[in-house]
Amino acid sequence: MVEWLLPYYKDIGGLPVVVQIALVFILLAICFTLLAYFSILRGRYRGYVRAKRQNRLNPIIDGLIVEHIVMNEALNKAKAAEHESVAMHFQLPELEPKWARQLLIDRIIDFRKNIRGTVGEALRTLYLDLELDRDTQRKLKSGSWNKKVQALNEYVSMGVPVADVTLLPLTNSRNRELRSAARHAYIKLSRNEPFKFFDVVSDNLLMWDQVELFRIITTTEKIVIPNFARWITYSTNKSVVSFCLKLVVHFNQTAAIPAIIKLLGTKDHYLRADAISALGKLEVNEVEHDLVEMYNNQPLNCQIEILKALGRLKGKAHLDFVKKEFLHASDFEVRKNAARAIVNMYPSGSPVVEELLVSATEENQLILRHCMNPLIKH
Amino acid sequence: MAHILVVEDNEIMQKLVAAILEREGHTVTVAPNGKEGLDLLSVPEPPYDLIIADIMMPYANGFEILNKVNKSEGRRIPVIIVSNLSNEQMVLEGFQLGAADYVTKPIMAGELLLRVKRLLNSH
Repeated sequence: MVEWLLPYYKDIGGLPVVVQIALVFILLAICFTLLAYFSILRGRYRGYVRAKRQNRLNPIIDGLIVEHIVMNEALNKAKAAEHESVAMHFQLPELEPKWARQLLIDRIIDFRKNIRGTVGEALRTLYLDLELDRDTQRKLKSGSWNKKVQALNEYVSMGVPVADVTLLPLTNSRNRELRSAARHAYIKLSRNEPFKFFDVVSDNLLMWDQVELFRIITTTEKIVIPNFARWITYSTNKSVVSFCLKLVVHFNQTAAIPAIIKLLGTKDHYLRADAISALGKLEVNEVEHDLVEMYNNQPLNCQIEILKALGRLKGKAHLDFVKKEFLHASDFEVRKNAARAIVNMYPSGSPVVEELLVSATEENQLILRHCMNPLIKH
Repeated sequence: MAHILVVEDNEIMQKLVAAILEREGHTVTVAPNGKEGLDLLSVPEPPYDLIIADIMMPYANGFEILNKVNKSEGRRIPVIIVSNLSNEQMVLEGFQLGAADYVTKPIMAGELLLRVKRLLNSH
């Protein structure tokens, strides 16, 4: 079979070793390039087939949805659950193959993203009546993480509840995208305890995770908000505690204040700084004195948070302390935050600001003017 | 029944809004982007009783449709702007430019019909 190659092989055998090695590399490079080309061609062909199928089936699906759901007069008169099922109109031979059912799921989701109310509910009923949730369930059980993510997104889009035992392990998945989709799904789909996964989070919630979770939590309608003090007190995961502090501030959860005050004694200074910041934002005036007392024993990040908190609390009792820090601290950040705190302590801080604008050093005056400018945030 | 111009780039929204309005007996003309919407409004006496325009569209956005309606001579066609829930600033800008009403995506069929009916009755 490879006889025609033999003369070449003999020729190559007589070449210097360096050239032979170079030839092997060239052959390997050619093989990998061909593989890459085939892979690209395969991807493009698949895309072409998908687009062709979509172009053929989407108008049929759209027509059925518009005719039997959007234009359905009966839907307006009865609730989605009460009216006669429209699923029989969708039981066409063209929609039976697996890929066609997937197209149908995608299209129902696309429609549901654009319409809510009775029609949105009817689309969900259609999804369940056609047993498309079984296809989704199959994807969730698949070994491929992107199939699982797809399944979770489908469940979320259709508002179909998933058992905690299925979802909770996925919230700790090693795959970042799957983990994020599972947490998203858990918050959106859990009826009673959408934050239960905080109990089992083993890794750190990264800043990006926190931003995503915050967006989901604050934009989900009818979400049951628990008392976050539970995690602030008992969670061993510092990133969960830090995230809960932000949620407490967002939801102005005054019931969690005692738990945050306890956190002032924690050994972790990052967490302590977060707790101080939360107390300032919640305007807990009772802690003003404690914050000033602990100030000198704190690392720089906590000192800065204390100054910010004092500015938010606006109490005049410690105005002299803040002024002293502004005038005598050696660290620039401390001086800047002290200046901002004095400016924020309006109206009690106003005479001090006026006095400092006359008596302070040129550099301090510059810092003060910078902090007085409402257009500059930092 | 009224003749309504729907200027919307999202194919599904076009179908949904057209179906909802046609179900009530209205005649619907769909422009798939802002530029085509502007073209349809460039005739001397546009035959539309109401315009439903998305804010975010390719080529020309909903504000340009509003500007076009504002500058046109003759009767003023009321415009309902369609925006995402998060586009509060854009809704305010739309009202400043003279939008008669707005609906947010995802839309509700009943709400859209009531707003359309109210505007058609008042104009």
